[in-house]
Amino acid sequence: MTGLAAALRWETRKLRAQLRTKALLLGALIAPVAVVLVVQSQPRPPKDTLFGRFATENGYAMTLLVLGFAAQWVLPLLTAIVAGDIFASEDQHGTWKTVLTRSTSRTTLFTAKVAVAVVFGLLALVVLAASTIAASVLVVGHEPLIGLSGQAIGARAALELVSASWASTALPMVGFTCLAILFSVWSRNAAVGIAAPVVLGLVMQLVGALGGIETLRPFLLTTPFESWHGLLAAPRFTGPLLDGVVTSTGWSVVCLLAAYVILRRRDITGG
Amino acid sequence: MTELAVDVVGVTKRYGDLVAVDHLSLQVAPGEVYGVLGPNGAGKTTLLRMLFGLIRPDSGTVRVFGRTWADAGVHLLDGVAGFVESPRFYPYLTGLQNLEGLALLDGSRSRGRVAEVLEVVDLADRRHDKVGGYSYGMRQRLGVAASLLREPRLLVLDEPANGLDPGGIRDMRALVKRLAASGLTVLLSSHHMDEVEEICDNVTIMRRGTVAFHGSISDLRAMAPDPGHVLRTGDDVEAVAIAIGRHPDVDVQPDPDGGLVATGQPVRLSAYVADLVRADIPLLELTPTQTPLEALFFMLTEAEVHEEHEPVGAAR
Repeated sequence: MTGLAAALRWETRKLRAQLRTKALLLGALIAPVAVVLVVQSQPRPPKDTLFGRFATENGYAMTLLVLGFAAQWVLPLLTAIVAGDIFASEDQHGTWKTVLTRSTSRTTLFTAKVAVAVVFGLLALVVLAASTIAASVLVVGHEPLIGLSGQAIGARAALELVSASWASTALPMVGFTCLAILFSVWSRNAAVGIAAPVVLGLVMQLVGALGGIETLRPFLLTTPFESWHGLLAAPRFTGPLLDGVVTSTGWSVVCLLAAYVILRRRDITGG
Repeated sequence: MTELAVDVVGVTKRYGDLVAVDHLSLQVAPGEVYGVLGPNGAGKTTLLRMLFGLIRPDSGTVRVFGRTWADAGVHLLDGVAGFVESPRFYPYLTGLQNLEGLALLDGSRSRGRVAEVLEVVDLADRRHDKVGGYSYGMRQRLGVAASLLREPRLLVLDEPANGLDPGGIRDMRALVKRLAASGLTVLLSSHHMDEVEEICDNVTIMRRGTVAFHGSISDLRAMAPDPGHVLRTGDDVEAVAIAIGRHPDVDVQPDPDGGLVATGQPVRLSAYVADLVRADIPLLELTPTQTPLEALFFMLTEAEVHEEHEPVGAAR
């Protein structure tokens, strides 16, 4: 087994052994069901929210309502709970020296940890999306969806577009994973690694909502979370999706490079 | 010429203004049990961290079995195992899971040895317990087990008996001696003179990042001062008079804490004490203040800055 494959197995084993990993995935599975049931039981739908007007009548609208809400802070938090801790926990437990004295390079460990954190984040997203879509369709129904331009979208096409919309959040979520990794490596503190990306995400949303910053908005990591809107308009437009790919990739690369350089240069003293 | 297990040449490491290790050189031959001794803050752990590549020296070279970090990277640690400071593990995993994970990182050779090394350190019956529930001594032993997994040629142990109770210290020393007897090269850091004296063949005593002594344990013993004893008698004035009058080779001085301190070679001291008994002076207490090697350790490591001198002991 190569060093990287062994490190990947080791990181996966550690993650599987942690209670919070299972709790997170369980939460991603159950929470959407509860949210759908609560929203559905409201006497009046949340009309001021995107797709809120139809959320209690249409399952696809419900899932897009949940997506809009989740993108605000749930998705960054979901991935940051693992990614923000995966490096800092080695400092917390003092185990850097345990693993780095075993002919395993920092590069190998870094690569394995990043891969495991990214895969876990994406897995959590898939569970959350699947649970939300299933709960929404089962509880509210699967009538044709009214699009953002008022056009009717057939049930089958709506399911595809809703799935694509959830899928479009994967790259910005990876961006937040990498941001959490950077905070985790830099701060050596799991609380900072988890909370900082979420807070930064909320700040970016606030900045994105301000007027007069059109040139800055495409560079914010939260902007790609809204790029799916174009899929539900008529005519459909995908420019924001492509911009989102560039933005998310840029954030991911910069964060990972910075984290890697910090880890490579670090003197392992306490940890 | 036999390749050295460890060859440290002119290594310096600074943390800001603090020079943790200052132009340090030491060599450990294969099969040797080598002690690095010094008080806390002397630079022992910094030296071991550099050996393992956890930190990088500002200058100088560290070679392990002829390899350097620059030319071998992490393969420098092939055949090397041990721990720096106290061994640390993942508390939410069992002892067995921790070792299996580390064996995974080591490769196929280590994986078949997990059960065997748990037996060696007497942890086989606690292997399914989470490490978070282990005592300090058990974690130390698990650290040795994790090191043995790699079938090392060089075992590096940083204060392995630190924090252990007397029984744990006895067990740990017995384990290290057993491993050393099997032909393993052992590099051991400690701040306990008796530990190094009991286990090691050669020793470097460090003081503030520099070498204060370098040589064999027998060389060190030869340099040791006469042992001092706390002496309490029924008539201290007469006891001092007898020393001055009949035993000039025994130095007897008042102890600030009460009583006397008598310093001299054991044979001379025995003759002096016999004289006190013959003179009907009641002997209330005769206890060693510190062992000769302890006294030498303090002399070497507590010298003031203006007394700094070239390291004593044999050059290697």
